[in-house]
Amino acid sequence: MNSTSAGQVYSFRSPWGAPIIQRSRFLQTLALGVYHLEGGEPVPGGPEIAVKLRLRLDSDAGIAPEETTYSATADTFVPGLSATPVDLMYGYVEGRNLLKGWLGFRLGRQYTANSLGWWAFDGGLVRITTPVYFQIEAYGGLEERGGLPLSTPRFERNGVWRGDRSAFEDRIYPQFQPAYIAPAYGAALESTGVTWIHGRLDYRKVFNQGNVFTGMFPDPVTGAYEFYQGRRTSSERIGYAFDATAASLGGLKGGLVYDLFNGYFSTYYGQLDWYAARRLTVGADYEYFRPTFDGDSIFNFFTHNPMTTITGRLDWDVSDQVDLALGGGVRSFVTDGDPNSFVSTEPNARSQVKQTDILGNVAGRYRYENGLFGLRGLFERGDRGHRQGGDLYGERYWMGGRWTGAARVSLFDWEDKLRPDRSATSFAYVLGGGFRASPIAQAMLEWEHDMNRIVGQRFRILALLNLTVTK
Amino acid sequence: MSGRILVFACFVAALAGGFRPAAAVTPTTAVVHGMHPIAGDKPVPGKWLPPGSFDPDGGPSSVVFPPQKITLRFNHKKHVKEAGATCATCHGKAKTSKVADDDLLPAGTTCDACHDTDHTDLKAVKGGSDEMGQCAFCHLGYRASAPNRVAALELPKPNMRFNHKAHLDRNIQCGHCHGSVDELELATRDQLPRMKGCFNCHNMSGAAQGQAKSACNVCHLTEPDGRMKVLFSTGELKPPRWLMNAQHTPDFIERHKRVAADNSALCASCHTERYCTDCHDGKIRPRSVHPNDWISMHPIAARQDNPRCTSCHQEQQFCLTCHQRVGVTMSGPNVSGNQFHPAGFVGTPLTARGPGHHAWEAQRNLNACVSCHTERDCAICHASTRRGGLSVNPHPGGFQRDCGSQFRRNGRPCLVCHELTSPELMSCR
Repeated sequence: MNSTSAGQVYSFRSPWGAPIIQRSRFLQTLALGVYHLEGGEPVPGGPEIAVKLRLRLDSDAGIAPEETTYSATADTFVPGLSATPVDLMYGYVEGRNLLKGWLGFRLGRQYTANSLGWWAFDGGLVRITTPVYFQIEAYGGLEERGGLPLSTPRFERNGVWRGDRSAFEDRIYPQFQPAYIAPAYGAALESTGVTWIHGRLDYRKVFNQGNVFTGMFPDPVTGAYEFYQGRRTSSERIGYAFDATAASLGGLKGGLVYDLFNGYFSTYYGQLDWYAARRLTVGADYEYFRPTFDGDSIFNFFTHNPMTTITGRLDWDVSDQVDLALGGGVRSFVTDGDPNSFVSTEPNARSQVKQTDILGNVAGRYRYENGLFGLRGLFERGDRGHRQGGDLYGERYWMGGRWTGAARVSLFDWEDKLRPDRSATSFAYVLGGGFRASPIAQAMLEWEHDMNRIVGQRFRILALLNLTVTK
Repeated sequence: MSGRILVFACFVAALAGGFRPAAAVTPTTAVVHGMHPIAGDKPVPGKWLPPGSFDPDGGPSSVVFPPQKITLRFNHKKHVKEAGATCATCHGKAKTSKVADDDLLPAGTTCDACHDTDHTDLKAVKGGSDEMGQCAFCHLGYRASAPNRVAALELPKPNMRFNHKAHLDRNIQCGHCHGSVDELELATRDQLPRMKGCFNCHNMSGAAQGQAKSACNVCHLTEPDGRMKVLFSTGELKPPRWLMNAQHTPDFIERHKRVAADNSALCASCHTERYCTDCHDGKIRPRSVHPNDWISMHPIAARQDNPRCTSCHQEQQFCLTCHQRVGVTMSGPNVSGNQFHPAGFVGTPLTARGPGHHAWEAQRNLNACVSCHTERDCAICHASTRRGGLSVNPHPGGFQRDCGSQFRRNGRPCLVCHELTSPELMSCR
């Protein structure tokens, strides 16, 4: 059993000074895991049955009642906003290595992570692992969606503002769509067993159901809003990811996602690594990305061009205690016409123009017996501005980890060419400490102080209590 | 110029010389055998190291096999090749050993047969009469002035599972994992197995017959929930780079999605779901991803798509809710009438699209738009006049080639801007 209690207090404000949002957040999670329900002495690689669940409350005392309750007289109602949302993050029973290793299953709310991304659904998953180096997976159920009981919108496709609108009329925020259950199914074919080569092919389809607004404006004659009904595609995608490694030479990774609804690749990428020396790896990465959205969203129709990123990388394990990583490259954005000189109103006269950002990354760690020091820095400069800066951070443990101290200093400079008034150089520091009162309880307290031209001084306090009981 | 380079090179060379340790003065004494794998502490050739060793090799994992302190000298090569011993002569217990914690070193009495010693009573060990029978012959640092006291041998238990009997029963002999110990004098940690060598056999599918499966927990210790135990007093276990290219470099956060996309089960070998959700569905800002005053910095980061917001956030919910609360929206609550975007960002159908027009931002990175705008904002201009808009066509060139397919799968977004009977939709259908 594990529980996390976290309190956070901070504030932020509108770019125009008001309103100021006070956030007084309290997070409480409660997790339960029961393992080896199959009975007998656990055998490595043997059958296993387990039950896992985690509940979460994420309340914010800074949310005013008029922000969550519609009123004809107040202009602060935010559809979908809740002051005390509770969700079941996951809750499932799982079987592994059953029937002499052939069968695995999960039943309940569960996450999946694969070439199509990170996703959650309520339902069942069955995995058949064969002796001939591949396994088949099939699953079906309901996509986790915001506005439904014990759910968050985190795993929906982007592009639709959706939730529980049972408490207000059609004419109020027609762009806020009602949430309905969303049936989904998928399948995967994956290699298994060997470690030097691996691949996974995924397919998934999700449906939207129920009524949804079409026109964003009322009919000029009747004043009514129009709806679209019926089962329709939310998303249908196929993805593949692979990895191949030659231990003394290097490795190759790649993947792609084809969006069957939109009819184009939403992403493909490749990564090549050369093990130049025992402690030195040189790599290169390429990524193509084109935004896609839920099938209900009009934003799919606005997607024009991809962005592509090409980077080079160097990872150096200086010693067992010290490692460094350096990277850099370019990211290209494509527009139909030159944003800096375009004057034509003729759509067909446009030629594609690339705008390029230059990227840089540096990271390093020094780990010692009772702590670590680290460095993270980034650099990005392009047509829309720049960001550059980095963090130095450290942790120190005393009395075998009973006491923990942590500190971070951060300096960043950014320029926003679309909003020059939002450019700034910002310094921040964080001080924290932790105390493990017993094997089951650890408390932490953290103080953050940001200083820059935009906010002046900004403070944030975080208190955390972790309790874990294992039997 | 070249003169300066020469001077600089000399300076560097002088510095390097300055930092070099003084050459050790080696006494011209006879070579003492059994002190190192090869007399004179010469490097062990790769062919004698355990299978899976690299060239050059860094030794086995110091987390799995903690450092040892060997206080004995021993010449394996001499015992095997001259005295006719086999591995089992001294390490016979390996034949029946089922757990890695077993002590497989020979008892002192094993030596007695040849060394004329008597280790029967360890409180009163008796030395032999010749040189080979003297305590100091094998026990390093032994002093006659402190009889029956020898330095302790420190061979910490390995942090892994291993069943010697199971391997020997399948005729997997000592050399398959330990290399050519018979060619060496002292056997050190370097002769302990390399993980890569294990994969010479442990590459079997889950349901395959036999036990040489590739699941991590076949060899690695596990937590009660079945995940690998990764934290030990000797350090933290992390995947080597040759294992699915998953080396956890300091910038691994930039690339970890490719490992998870291909083989998330590998991640789950060590990480719980909570580890992922702390960032990907988190409620406490992870500073390793969002440093400094992130609230002030995030607009330009979102526009630069670095990091990609959609990796962790549903923009029309997470982002939009906050933007509505502070009035950074076009058609929501708290709209103050202040202009967020620069002048010329929104034109009219009659004005030419200029350099500051919003279309360029939408084309560069549409996700940045979606984090503030709902589709109603777009429909104000882009919907047809019969749908309440201004009929400004946002579709890219060639859009009509494929739009019929989208309409059949989900006609709803088409109907936001077009009437079902409009000529545009009729041509799509």
